[in-house]
Amino acid sequence: MNLSELFSLLIIVLYALGTLFIIAGTALRKDPLKKLSNWSAVAGFGLHSAMLLFAMVGSDFDLSKGYYIQFLSWSLLFIYFFLWWRMRLSFLGLTAAPLAMLLFIGSFTLTTVQGKLPEEWTGMFFGLHIGTLFLSFGLLAMAFGAGLIFIRLERKIKSKEQLTEFDKDMPALATFDRVNHVAVMAGFPLYTIGMASGFIWARLAWGRLLSADPKEIVSIFVWFVFAWLFHQRLTAGWRGRKAAKAVIWLFAISVFSLIGINVFMPTHHSFIQ
Amino acid sequence: MDRDIYLIGLNHKTASVEVREKFALTDCKHLEPGVVPVEGCIKEAMVLSTCNRVELIVVGEGDGVINHVIKCWADARGQRVDDLEPYVYKHKGLEAVQHLFTVASSLDSLVVGEPQILGQLKTAYHEAVDRNATRVILNRLLHKAFSVAKRVRTETGVASSAVSISYAAVELAKRIFGDMGEYTAMLIGAGEMAELAATHLLNNGIKKIYVANRTFERGQLLAEQFNGEAIAFSDLFTQLEKVDIIISSTGAHEAVIRAKDIRTVLKKRKNRPMFFIDIAVPRDIDPDVNALDNVYLYDIDDLKEVVEENLAQRQEEAQKARAIVESETQTFSKWLRSLELQPTIVDLVNRSENIVEEELIKCMKRLEGANGETEKILRCAMTAVAKKMNHEPISFLKRRHEEEEAGDRYIDITRRMFNLDDDPVRADAHGHRRKKH
Repeated sequence: MNLSELFSLLIIVLYALGTLFIIAGTALRKDPLKKLSNWSAVAGFGLHSAMLLFAMVGSDFDLSKGYYIQFLSWSLLFIYFFLWWRMRLSFLGLTAAPLAMLLFIGSFTLTTVQGKLPEEWTGMFFGLHIGTLFLSFGLLAMAFGAGLIFIRLERKIKSKEQLTEFDKDMPALATFDRVNHVAVMAGFPLYTIGMASGFIWARLAWGRLLSADPKEIVSIFVWFVFAWLFHQRLTAGWRGRKAAKAVIWLFAISVFSLIGINVFMPTHHSFIQ
Repeated sequence: MDRDIYLIGLNHKTASVEVREKFALTDCKHLEPGVVPVEGCIKEAMVLSTCNRVELIVVGEGDGVINHVIKCWADARGQRVDDLEPYVYKHKGLEAVQHLFTVASSLDSLVVGEPQILGQLKTAYHEAVDRNATRVILNRLLHKAFSVAKRVRTETGVASSAVSISYAAVELAKRIFGDMGEYTAMLIGAGEMAELAATHLLNNGIKKIYVANRTFERGQLLAEQFNGEAIAFSDLFTQLEKVDIIISSTGAHEAVIRAKDIRTVLKKRKNRPMFFIDIAVPRDIDPDVNALDNVYLYDIDDLKEVVEENLAQRQEEAQKARAIVESETQTFSKWLRSLELQPTIVDLVNRSENIVEEELIKCMKRLEGANGETEKILRCAMTAVAKKMNHEPISFLKRRHEEEEAGDRYIDITRRMFNLDDDPVRADAHGHRRKKH
C-alpha cells in the first residue's frame, strides 16, 4: 500500500465515521455524537486537503485518479465547515458528511481508466473554472439538504401535524431559509464566474466559445434557472417553500450534469479520458 | 426524638388568586428576620413564595409546629388564622420531602415542566441561608431537591413540551422564526390569554410589541404594560406590514382580517413570514389566510390540539419523573434516619473492620510461609489500631450529641468525613458558600 492509498483509506474511514455519528447523533438525540461526527469530518478534511495539495505539487500522486470528484467532495465539506462556523448549523452535516463520503468513494470507481490531466487544464483557469463551480455546487448541496428538511417541517407546521422528536431538534424555518439565501446569493455569482471562465478557457484552448457539448448545454440551462432564482429572491421576495423547491431542482439537475454527463456521455468534460 | 420536617403551604390548586395575593410573602423587604423565626420549637425554616404558591418549610420539634407556623404566617400578613387555614395543605416527614421534590421538579407547577420554579427555590434557599435559618437538615434537603430537579430535567421529557395555550403559541413562533430578537408582535384586542402570550413573547426576547385596540386608551394601557406602542385600530393594515407575529382576540362577530388583505401586506413586506395566532371565539382571522405562502395561522382549536398532544406525551414522562422523586425521597429518608447516633457509630465501626479485613488479605499474600498463628496476631494488632483510632471520634460524637444544637451537625460531618453513605461529591457542592468569602 503506498502513501496515497493509505491516505485515501483513512479519509474514507473518517468520513464514514462522521456520517455514522451524525446520523446516530440525530436519531438518538445525543449532542456528543454530533460533535464526534464533526471532529471525524474535520480530521478527514485535514488529510483530504493535504492529499489534494500533494497531488497538485508532487509527482507521486496521480492527478487523474478521480481528482476532480475528490476536489468536489472537498469543496462540499469546505462549504459545510464555513456555514457551521458562521451560522452554527451543525445539522447540515447530515447532508455534507454522507455526500462527501459517497463522492470520495465514487472518485475511485474512475481509477479503472487511467488518463493524464489534459495540458490545457492547468493554470489560473483551474482555480477559476473548477474552484468556483465546485464551491457553488457545495452551496447548492447544503441548500438542497436544508430545503428537504424545510419542506417537511413547513408542511407539518402549516397543516398542524404533530411534530416528531427529530422535527423538534431541527432549527427554526427561518434558519433553513437563511441557508437557501446564502447559497443563492453566493452561489450564483460563483457559478457565473465559473461559466464565464470556462468559455474564455475554451476560446483560448480550442479557439471557439461553444462546441455544442452536452455539458455546456446543460450548464447554460442551469445558469438560467439559477439566474431566475437569484432574481426572484432579490426582487420578488421569494422565500420559503418556493425557493427551497427551486434549489432542490437546481441541485438535481447539477448532479445529473456532473455525474450523468461527465461519466456517461461523450464530452470534453469527461472524467474518463 | 420527635423532630421532623414540615411543609405548610398553599398553591394555585388550593387557593384563588385573591387568596394567594392576600397571603403572599413575596416582598422580601417586609420579611423581618424570617416569617417563622428560628427559635423555640422551630429549628430551621425557609419560605418559598411565588405568584402561584407560598410554601413554608421548617424543621420543628413537638406537636404545635404546624399551628405555630400558620399563626406566624397569618401574623406576618396581618390576617386571621381562620382565613388562611382552609386553603393550606400540611405535610410532615417524608410527605413533606416528596412534596418539595415534586415542586422543585416543576411537576406541581401550573405549566408543568416550566423552568422558573427551580430558580425561585434556589433564591428562597439562599435567602434563608443568608438569614442563618438553615442547618444540616434543610441544607441537605434543598441540595437534594436541586439535584432531583436536575435528574428529572435530564432523564425525562417533562420539560420539553408546552402545555398551556399561550406557551404553545410561543413555542410555535420559535419553530418558525428561531431567535425572537429580530421580530415584532402585535396584539389585536386585549384579553387575559393574549396578555399571557405577550408576556411569554417578551420573556423570549421579542423586539417590540404593538397593541391595536378599538378603544385606544385601553390599548395604550396595555402597551405601557409591555413597554410597547399603541396604534389606532384604523391603522391596523398599514401597521401589519411591520409585524411578524399577530395575536388576535377581539370580540368581533366576523372576521377582522381576510386573506385578500394579507396578500397585499405580504407583497409589501416581500413575503417575510407571518404567524397569526387567533384566540378569539368567533374567529377574527379568515382561515383562508393559512393557504397563503409564508403565512401560518393557528386558531384556538389548533393550539388546544397541540397542548393536548403534549399533555398525552407528558403523562408518560411525568410517570417517570414521579418514580425518580419517589426513589430520591427514599434515599433521603435513609439519610435522615442515619442522623441518629447509634447507626452512625455502627457504620463507623463496620467501616474500620472492613478496612482491617481488606488489608489483612493483602498482607497475608505478601507473607510467604505464614500460618494461622501469624494471621491471628496480625488481625489482633490491626483491630486494636482501628479501635483506638475510632475511640476518640466516637466519644466526641457522644458528648456532642448530648448538646441540643450540635448533635446533628457533627453526626452529619462524621458521616461525610468518613464517607459512610458512599455519596459522590459534586464539584460545585458548596459553591454558594465559597462565593461569599
